[in-house]
Amino acid sequence: MTPVAGGVALNLALGCSVLSIITLIAYNRTLDHRLFLAGQRLGLAISFFVFISTFILGYQLFVSNFDIDYVARYTSYETPNIFKISALWAGQSGSLLFWLFILSIFNTVTIIQNQDRHLNLMPWVIITMSVIQLFFLILTNFITNPFEPTQADFVVQNGNGLNPLLQNITMAIHPPTLYLGYVGFSVPFAFAFSALVNKDIGALWIRSIRRWTLVSWLFLSIGIILGGWWAYQELGWGGYWAWDPVENASFMPWLTATAFLHSIIVQEKKDMLRVWNMVLIILTFSLCIFGTFLTRSGVMSSVHSFTESSLGPVFLSFVFIILASSFGLMFSRMTVLKSPRKIESVSSRESGFLFNNLIFVVMCFGVFWGTLFPVITEWFNGDKISVGPPFFNQINTPIGLALLALTGIGPMLAWKGTSNNKLIQNFALPIAFGLLGAIIFVFLGFTTYTIISFSLCIFVVIAISSEFIKGVKVRKSKFNETIFLSLYKMIEKNRSRYGGYIVHLGIVLMFVGFTGHAFDKEKEFGIQVGQIESVANYNFQLTRMYEEERPNHYAWITDLRVSDAAGNFITSLRPEKRVYFHKNPDINKRQPHSELDIYSTMNKDIYSIFSSVSSDNSIAFIKIMINPLVKWVWIGGYILAFGTLIALWPRKD
Amino acid sequence: MNSKIFSLILGVLSVILFWIGWVSFNPSDEKAMARFVSVENLVNNKISSRIKLGGIVKNGSIEISKSNQLECFFVLKEGSAELAVNYSKTRPDLFKDGAEVIVTGEYRDGVFVADELQTKCASRYEGDLREESNYKLEELET
Repeated sequence: MTPVAGGVALNLALGCSVLSIITLIAYNRTLDHRLFLAGQRLGLAISFFVFISTFILGYQLFVSNFDIDYVARYTSYETPNIFKISALWAGQSGSLLFWLFILSIFNTVTIIQNQDRHLNLMPWVIITMSVIQLFFLILTNFITNPFEPTQADFVVQNGNGLNPLLQNITMAIHPPTLYLGYVGFSVPFAFAFSALVNKDIGALWIRSIRRWTLVSWLFLSIGIILGGWWAYQELGWGGYWAWDPVENASFMPWLTATAFLHSIIVQEKKDMLRVWNMVLIILTFSLCIFGTFLTRSGVMSSVHSFTESSLGPVFLSFVFIILASSFGLMFSRMTVLKSPRKIESVSSRESGFLFNNLIFVVMCFGVFWGTLFPVITEWFNGDKISVGPPFFNQINTPIGLALLALTGIGPMLAWKGTSNNKLIQNFALPIAFGLLGAIIFVFLGFTTYTIISFSLCIFVVIAISSEFIKGVKVRKSKFNETIFLSLYKMIEKNRSRYGGYIVHLGIVLMFVGFTGHAFDKEKEFGIQVGQIESVANYNFQLTRMYEEERPNHYAWITDLRVSDAAGNFITSLRPEKRVYFHKNPDINKRQPHSELDIYSTMNKDIYSIFSSVSSDNSIAFIKIMINPLVKWVWIGGYILAFGTLIALWPRKD
Repeated sequence: MNSKIFSLILGVLSVILFWIGWVSFNPSDEKAMARFVSVENLVNNKISSRIKLGGIVKNGSIEISKSNQLECFFVLKEGSAELAVNYSKTRPDLFKDGAEVIVTGEYRDGVFVADELQTKCASRYEGDLREESNYKLEELET
C-alpha cells in the first residue's frame, strides 16, 4: 500500500506545482492578496508532498521492499542500513527524487524566511521555483518513477545490492553535498529572475541572496573536494582529478559561481556590473541543470556514465527554456539594467574583479569545450574525438595561473583606482619575495610552469599576509589591543572580506598541491618475498605475503618495508587485494577490490597498490606512486571551508 | 566603461580564446586526443591514429602472461566484430569476462595495443534480478 502512497504524493505535488504557478500568475494580474497567500501555501504544499514521497522511498529501502524495482536494484538484505539510505541517491530515479527533495527544503526555507520580506519579489520567486519543481516532478512522475513496481513474473528474494566501491562513507556523503550545491543555486536564480520580471534591479536582490550563494558555493566546493579525496583513497589510480565529464559537470558551475560571488561584491558596493551578474547567475543555474544532465543521461562516455536513457532530450529542452527565457527577459530589460556608474581605472579593484570574472568564465568555456569536444567534432567532420587530461591540463594551467596571480593582485587594488605610489607600496614586497623564490626555483632546476606557480604562490601569500598585518597594525595603534585581539576584532568587523582572504589562502595551498603533480613518479613491478625494488630513491622490500579470510571478503596482504636511499626505515605499507562475495559459486559475481595503502606526509605521499598475485602465490604485482604535496590540496580544502564559514557567520544585530 | 578597459578585455579574451583554439589543433601531448571508432571500422580500415574503442570483454578470452602478470591479452567484442587487445598495466578491479570496457591506444599489425583501460564504473549493478533470485543468502555472507 505505501509504495502507492509514494506515487500518489508525487502526483499531488505535480498538481500543486501547476496550481501554484497559475494562482501566482493570476495574483500578478489581479493583485488580490488572497491569491498570493494561496500561491504561497500551494508552494509549501508541493514541498510537503515531495517530503512525504521521499520518506516513503527511504522507508521502503530501509525495510527492503523488493516489490519496488528501485529497491531491488540498489539494495539487498546484506546492505548495511546506512547504505540502504544512501541508495536513495545511488540510482537515476532516486537521485532525481533526491534533487527534488533538497530543492523542496530550500523552497520551504525561502518561502518561510520571506513571509514578510521582499513582497514585490516573492510571487515570481515562488513561480520560478515551482517551475523548477514542476520540471523534476514531470521527470519523476512520467519518465523515471522511483516507485515503479518490479517487472518480474517471480518473487524477488533478494535485491542486487550496492556496489562495494560505493559502500564507503565518503561516497555516501559526496553526492548529497554536491546536490546541495547544485540545487542551492536555484534560489539566487529565482531571485534574479524575479528581479528581472519586476524591473527591480538595484543592489537589493543581490543582498538577499548573498548568503544563499555562499552556502551553495561552499557545498559545491566541499562536494568536489570530497569526490577527489574519495577517488584518491579508493579508486587506485593515484590521482584525485581526471577531467572526467562528470567531474567537469560539477567544476563548470563552480567556476561561474565563483565569478558571481566576486562580482556581486561590486554590485553591492558600487552598483556596477548589473548585466554581468545576471548573466553569471543564469549561466550558473543552467550549468547546474546541465551538470545533472551530464551525470544522469549517459550522453558522454565516462566512468560515471549510466545507461542511455530518455532523459537527455527532456533535460536539454529544460536548459534551453531556462536560457531562452532568462536571456530573452534580460535583453528586454536592458534599459533598466544599465548601471548608472562606470569603471574608471584599470588599476581599480572593480576592474580587478572584472578581469577575475572574465578569466573564470573563459576557463569555464574551455572546460565546456573540452567536455563537449567529441560532440563538436562529430558535428563538424563526423569523427568523434575525445580529449583526455593532458588537453585540459595544457589549456587550464596558464589560465589557472593567471587566476592565482589575481588572487593576490585584486585585494591590493583600491576601489575606483590605485595611485602609482600606492601600487609600488603595495606590490613591492610581494613581488620581491616572488622573484626571490623564482630565482631559487630556477637553481633547483624546476620546469617553467612549476617555477611560475610556486613563485605566484609566494607572491599571493605575502600579499594576503600584508593585508592582515596592515589591518592589525592600524587597530593596534588605534585601540591599544594585543595582536590577537585586534586580529580577532578585525576579522569580526569585516567577516566577508577577511573570510574571503582566508579562502584565497586555502586556494594557494591547493595550487601548491596541484603543482606537486609535476614531480609525480610511478613504477609497476612484480616482486617476490625478500626482494627489493627501488622507486625514486626509495627502496621497497617485500617482507611477507599472506592470505586471510575475513567476514565478507578474502584478502591477500603484502608487507612492504619502505626505506630511503641510505637504508633508513620510513614506514611499512600493507596494500591488500580483496575479493568480495568470495563464496559466491558464480565467479563473475565475485568482486575483486584493491585496498590501497598510503603513507602521507606534508612533503609527499607514498601510494601503494597491490594489483594482482601470480597463480602460485609467489609473485606480488605492485604499483608504487610517489605523489609530492598532495596533502596540501586537502589542507587547502579545509582552510577554504573555514574561510567561507567566517564569511557566512551571521552578525549579532 | 572606459575604452582602455574595454580594449584590455577584448585583448585578454582573444588571447585566451586563441589559446584554447590553438591547443585544440596542436595538443602538446599526443595522448591528449583519441578518435572514437567502432571495432568493425578499425578492423576494416586499419586506422593508425590514436584510438578509443568501447566493447565487451569476450568470455574466456582473458590471458595473463605467466612470466609477467601485468601483461594481458583479451578479445574485445563490439556487436559481431572482434579484436585482439594487448594491455600491460595494472588492470582495474572490475576488469573481467563480460565487463564493459573502454580502451585507448593504437592498432599495430592486427593487435590493438592499449595504454589505457577503463571499466564502466558500476554505479549500479545491472544484473538480471532473475539470477539474483536463485542466490542463496547464506552463501553470500558468512
